[in-house]
Amino acid sequence: MRRAPAGSRATVRAANGPRRGGKCADRLVILLELCATLLCLWAGFYRTPAGALVRMTLARLFGMHSSARPLLAYYSAGVYGGVMPVPTPLRGPVPPGEALGYGAHAVLAQLPPREQAQIAHRAALTTGQLADPAALSLWLATTAKGSSDSAAVLALFCGEEATRFAREASAARAPNLEQLALELPPRYSSEIALASQTMMLGTAFSLGWPVSESAHVTSPFGFREHPILGGKRLHAGVDLGIPVGTPVRAAAAGIVRRASSDSINGKMVIVDHGRGVTTAYLHNDSLLVSVGERVNRGQPLSRSGNSGRSTGPHLHYQLDLAGQPVDPLNYRVSTPAQHLLRAGGSD
Amino acid sequence: MPLGLLALVAVGAHAAADVLGERILAGVDRTQAFFDSLFGSWSFTAPLVNLVSVETRTLFARAVALVWELWADALLALPMLGFRAGEERSTEVAQAKLLLRQLARRPTPLKLLRPLCTAALCVAGACSVARLVRGTLLSSGVLSRMLAPVALLAVLSFLATRASLRSLERAELQTDRKRRSTLRAWSLGTIGTLMLLPLALAALFGASPVWSFFR
Repeated sequence: MRRAPAGSRATVRAANGPRRGGKCADRLVILLELCATLLCLWAGFYRTPAGALVRMTLARLFGMHSSARPLLAYYSAGVYGGVMPVPTPLRGPVPPGEALGYGAHAVLAQLPPREQAQIAHRAALTTGQLADPAALSLWLATTAKGSSDSAAVLALFCGEEATRFAREASAARAPNLEQLALELPPRYSSEIALASQTMMLGTAFSLGWPVSESAHVTSPFGFREHPILGGKRLHAGVDLGIPVGTPVRAAAAGIVRRASSDSINGKMVIVDHGRGVTTAYLHNDSLLVSVGERVNRGQPLSRSGNSGRSTGPHLHYQLDLAGQPVDPLNYRVSTPAQHLLRAGGSD
Repeated sequence: MPLGLLALVAVGAHAAADVLGERILAGVDRTQAFFDSLFGSWSFTAPLVNLVSVETRTLFARAVALVWELWADALLALPMLGFRAGEERSTEVAQAKLLLRQLARRPTPLKLLRPLCTAALCVAGACSVARLVRGTLLSSGVLSRMLAPVALLAVLSFLATRASLRSLERAELQTDRKRRSTLRAWSLGTIGTLMLLPLALAALFGASPVWSFFR
């Protein structure tokens, strides 16, 4: 039989002899270590893109269904990154302060009746109220008293108990949706996605128009023949025909993310309004703001022009939701296209 | 245990990368503006303008955060798989003392910074784990408030310390391999470690609300 070398762990243990009462403590420590390890694995599997990658790989290997989301959806606490519902066409102007209700209405309209009924039951709303943007706005405004819009929207989809818990648990004084979502467990991920879409659409519905409402559309959103390059390409915004020097105003309050100039986009401004909503203003003549500046709704950002790759004076106005370009006209009271489309500058 | 250590560092790296997201987006905007103005100067490079278009900038920024996080995982989390637990706590303590003595005798950026970065990510990871415990038990009221700090302390004391020591042990091995010269030992892994520093700072100052679990 081989002897353990002098000074080795086995020899040290043999020399010390068995410890009385230490066995129980050792077992407790081992148990705690095991629990800590399992908790970390659990968090790693469900809260990180690397964990999602492992889950997806395992699911593929064993031919099982995986609940893992796309890797990039694990950032910003999983909010403002999901697929957006197509908003129902607006039948009239969105009254000030009711935009969030309209956003909630648009999101709820995409849900199957069973889920709608669950949400209505949880929020003590009737099915009729759920289908009425004004009633939803009133519910959200009442719930938001003493908290915030984010908390009210989260309460609509996750319930008041979970929202109260998230508010109390958050280290932030006035937590936004990302901070509230961080406090909730993975089982609420789909409800959090719905809440973030509501916030996003609510913000989009509350946007103003960068130039006069009467400015005509010279090129609409969507696939079209490119006026300079030719071929079918996506036009990611709307072109508004306005004379050079017209003030271009911020559609809502936000932070200027980009104020730059290049030969394609011309002099451009991008404003981040938060909640996954960004607006871009291209082909300007001069810029009046700089990067990082906070702007208010209606504040002049630039003077319109004909800079960059453009066929004439116009403003290219682009609205992005969760990084996807959408038709800005869908988020304001629609006007018949035949009255809007006119000849003029485009890009 | 090694899997737990790996998961802890990975969770911390993700929390830190998530905190950095906004700053990465701002960086992407500035870089994009610079390259667009540069590429737009010549007709043959003009098609490169909007390579990262206005609408894909958020996705691009998130992709950068993901790559950064995976980089941290590769440098700090994966080596945790090589961790071998001591049979007794006393041997681990002795080993830690030995490593610290070696560090004091021959400090290098790699040996100093990597364990610190690992420790920072572990604190952020432990907070994420405690938050998950608290959130999962949200309807149990007092129980969730009690178990979250217990989970935090357990993860910090049993796993975070070991992860930092394992990181130091690996840095020591890397530095001492083939008896490197002082200059080579000082330059070894410096770029990789410097790239980890923003993540470590974000982990400490943006993703570690330790006191919120004891309110």
